[in-house]
Amino acid sequence: MTVQTLEVKRSSAAVWGSKTGLRQQTTVAKYIDTSTCIGCKACEAACQEWNDLKRVPTTQDGSYQTLPELDAEFWNLIKFREIEVDGSLNWLMRKDQCMHCAEPGCLEACPAPGAIVQYANGIVDVDPEKCIGCKYCSTGCPFDVPKFSAKTGKMAKCTLCVDRVAVGLEPACIKACPTGCLNFGTTEDMVALGNTRVKQLQAVGFKDAVLYNPEGVGGTNVVTVLKYNRPDWYSLPVDPHVPWGVKLWKKIVRPLGVIAAAAAVIGVFGHYTAFGPKEVPGSDDEVRR
Amino acid sequence: MTAINTDHADRAIVVGRKQDNVIVGEEIVRHRAATRWIHWGVAFTFFLGLITGMPIWTPIFRWMAGLVGGLEVARVIHPYAGAAFFIMSVLQFFHWLTDMHFSQDEKGGWKPRALLRYMRWEDEPAAEGGKYNPGQKFFFWSVTLGAIGFLVTGIVMWFPLEFPKIINELSILIHDITFICFLVAIIFHIYLGTVAEPGTFRAMTRGTVTRSWARLHHPGWLRQITGGARKP
Repeated sequence: MTVQTLEVKRSSAAVWGSKTGLRQQTTVAKYIDTSTCIGCKACEAACQEWNDLKRVPTTQDGSYQTLPELDAEFWNLIKFREIEVDGSLNWLMRKDQCMHCAEPGCLEACPAPGAIVQYANGIVDVDPEKCIGCKYCSTGCPFDVPKFSAKTGKMAKCTLCVDRVAVGLEPACIKACPTGCLNFGTTEDMVALGNTRVKQLQAVGFKDAVLYNPEGVGGTNVVTVLKYNRPDWYSLPVDPHVPWGVKLWKKIVRPLGVIAAAAAVIGVFGHYTAFGPKEVPGSDDEVRR
Repeated sequence: MTAINTDHADRAIVVGRKQDNVIVGEEIVRHRAATRWIHWGVAFTFFLGLITGMPIWTPIFRWMAGLVGGLEVARVIHPYAGAAFFIMSVLQFFHWLTDMHFSQDEKGGWKPRALLRYMRWEDEPAAEGGKYNPGQKFFFWSVTLGAIGFLVTGIVMWFPLEFPKIINELSILIHDITFICFLVAIIFHIYLGTVAEPGTFRAMTRGTVTRSWARLHHPGWLRQITGGARKP
């Protein structure tokens, strides 16, 4: 029996498409306001602590950033970028983690049944016991989030603290944030909060402030307020979507292949009944030996 | 050759260890031992790749993973099975290459219409044909192309993080399409080599065929080895 909040809405490699639960649950989302983030990395530390992850050796790349990119043992990373806008320097900081897409490319690409699931509350999670370490999810994810661990042979990523959320707590990163630039609630509430904040920013001069909630993946359960409508400045894809190759292969090529194989088997039986064997004239016994 | 004690050994088998295209009593050695081993090597590695790849391809064939100890084991074995399959395919390619050139009058013998005619048993084998017919030669070259396709895309899929995403997407797609073509072809290959054409399968086990089998399926080849009109 699954906990009600953890009912599976969608599962990887399900034969009949998505397994849809009947419960109509509201989905949960993280709200990130990059305009009030101070880059303190409290969320990074909270994530490492709550998820019992070992500290990954940090690297010095001439930036304030802890690591160049997410890691199998580092699921929450503040990305720092220095951008010059209208002659003034902008220090952009964005909290990077799994976006918990409504249409997850990782889940779509995954060939192991149940290794990636989307719960009814919108959280996309990896089940390490079912993961086979093939890295297809890495190909399917437009945000480059799932990371392979050589230690376990499995993929790992942010769980949106599903273990906390399931018992009514907010994710660890949200809990740790000192400025209130992070928030957690229903997707609906977080989008409304984001839209309000975008209007505030626009009113104070950031004319092209925007709420990043990309349609290409059906929206994400991590909504991000950006001061500038330049997702690439924040190391975000401008128009993310489930890769066409993954869709083509899963939705068209694979079913056609199964049909072709079945047709070949039926064809062979049909042929044998219609034409029979091509017998060698002469002694059958000798030939069939 | 050293003297063979034919009192206890099967002469056709003994001769077939080293030689092919020779007549031994009532039989003709079609594939000597080396040829058979290489082809069985290709077959076994292909099927190992098949049972470890198909459960990853689609959950419909998930049960196949159980044969090797689960999906995770299948995924570990699969690339090595694929590498072994490629090595065996290379051996087979050079082993059979000289017999696989299309002769002038065989051009077009692999086209769908000709293949259909063949499958309706309406085909008259060319009296001047060689050891293999145009369909077999077509299959040989298709399998060669497929093995290369499997290898190139397989390497990408083995080490996906070393390649750009678009290369990964294309590789998975091409690997799948190659497999589908292979699967359909292999179903027909096994059918033709066993129940559809009696007397054929023994060429892969015992290594020999009968004279009447050769007369029906490869008259040109029979003429060559019985010393009739020779044609390369």
